[in-house]
Amino acid sequence: MAGICCGVVGETEPAAPVDSTSRASLRRRLDLLPSIKIVADSAVAPPLENCRKRQKRETVVLSTLPGNLDLDSNVRSENKKARSAVTNSNSVTEAESFFSDVPKIGTTSVCGRRRDMEDAVSIHPSFLQRNSENHHFYGVFDGHGCSHVAEKCRERLHDIVKKEVEVMASDEWTETMVKSFQKMDKEVSQRECNLVVNGATRSMKNSCRCELQSPQCDAVGSTAVVSVVTPEKIIVSNCGDSRAVLCRNGVAIPLSVDHKPDRPDELIRIQQAGGRVIYWDGARVLGVLAMSRAIGDNYLKPYVIPDPEVTVTDRTDEDECLILASDGLWDVVPNETACGVARMCLRGAGAGDDSDAAHNACSDAALLLTKLALARQSSDNVSVVVVDLRKRRNNQASS
Amino acid sequence: MKTSQEQHVCGSTVVQTINAPLPLVWSILRRFDNPKTFKHFVKTCKLRSGDGGEGSVREVTVVSDLPASFSLERLDELDDESHVMVISIIGGDHRLVNYQSKTTVFVAAEEEKTVVVESYVVDVPEGNTEEETTLFADTIVGCNLRSLAKLSEKMMELT
Repeated sequence: MAGICCGVVGETEPAAPVDSTSRASLRRRLDLLPSIKIVADSAVAPPLENCRKRQKRETVVLSTLPGNLDLDSNVRSENKKARSAVTNSNSVTEAESFFSDVPKIGTTSVCGRRRDMEDAVSIHPSFLQRNSENHHFYGVFDGHGCSHVAEKCRERLHDIVKKEVEVMASDEWTETMVKSFQKMDKEVSQRECNLVVNGATRSMKNSCRCELQSPQCDAVGSTAVVSVVTPEKIIVSNCGDSRAVLCRNGVAIPLSVDHKPDRPDELIRIQQAGGRVIYWDGARVLGVLAMSRAIGDNYLKPYVIPDPEVTVTDRTDEDECLILASDGLWDVVPNETACGVARMCLRGAGAGDDSDAAHNACSDAALLLTKLALARQSSDNVSVVVVDLRKRRNNQASS
Repeated sequence: MKTSQEQHVCGSTVVQTINAPLPLVWSILRRFDNPKTFKHFVKTCKLRSGDGGEGSVREVTVVSDLPASFSLERLDELDDESHVMVISIIGGDHRLVNYQSKTTVFVAAEEEKTVVVESYVVDVPEGNTEEETTLFADTIVGCNLRSLAKLSEKMMELT
């Protein structure tokens, strides 16, 4: 991937002409935006652990970047290094389509203008069956300081949530998700011990910058926005400044509220814990961290906490899609715009039983949102997950 | 050090006791060319001039999402006998202007322990109070010294 500035990887293209005028026009719209280098690279491995799931039709599209993406070349000389990132399309095999509620998902995760990729995305359809209902897990993690806390969340959080949900009494989602996030935080904090015991083997397979220097990095953390989708509900747990937005009948409904240090209730919480929010290049906890909650960041405890805020939303027939994204998107694209873009992509594909078309529509939506963020000069990593929430069999005629 | 008349200056001292002998602690701390070993906010460090001795200048880049991306720092003094190190920040895209720190390492009264004392002065940037400035700098310095302690103590365990 040498010589590449900024990338999106492995966008899914239809192998055969799937349809349709609307898809063609979408393609054209994609092409109008500043083109992005697209690289097939497994530096950030797509989540492939689910055996029924496989990656399909991964076509690599190559085009060149406008030179102005290299923003701080005047600051640092080694800035023109390769950038890479990944787009995954979680397609579904024939076996999986026997299930009536197989989710249609599109994800994009790109390094963008940043030097390092510190976002991670976690997609686990059918990660859990409860009361004979399929539950799906989606997560976006935006690391800071280094990538390893976000990576650890990607590797582990769905398993932790699964175990907690399995012992959950009735529908205590809030308590269960808070417990899960706290366990995740503990695992990240105990990383040091694991290292000494295991001799840097198991937990360190994704080697990152800081572990080579020192086994202990108190000053590393990650946001986590996680959604568990059941046939009836959407549970969103959020910690930090990534965000989940529901698109319902064309209206953007935020399902999480960003944890910023100057949010009045967070400011009070931090002050009551003995901390301070200082305006030092924006509002920051002790002048350092520009979010008030995160997984990790031991050095800022107890002011920065890993406890998520949890929302439980009943699904309705008017629900169109769910968008989870890191602040690389939300800093430059308002909720309403994001919903409008995703909706347009999904409507183009229709709400029929054509799972390929729906998958591609979600992938198109995720990619288009990412391109939009980059076109609007987002300076951060950009990660987007789009989940189609339309109820196919009951609701085919809706669009 | 240049400080204009009306410019507000502040300073503070951070003290850290370490369960490791002085020679070990000093051997980590004195490496002006390699602060990454214990400073977690440092992503890369390159010497711009010098060989790591007095007068050397390093360019440090810092990890993501901090209110800075790089810093230029000069080693003003490095005394291996009295264990004193003085560093000035001479540039960077951050708000620590005219920052100078003096780090001194002592053998503690208790056996096999070391005390590290780091004092600094810095301009109070516009829009912030003295208290905010020292709280911010204390957070960074304190984090570095705690990390120096952990690393030294870990190295003790391993030997």
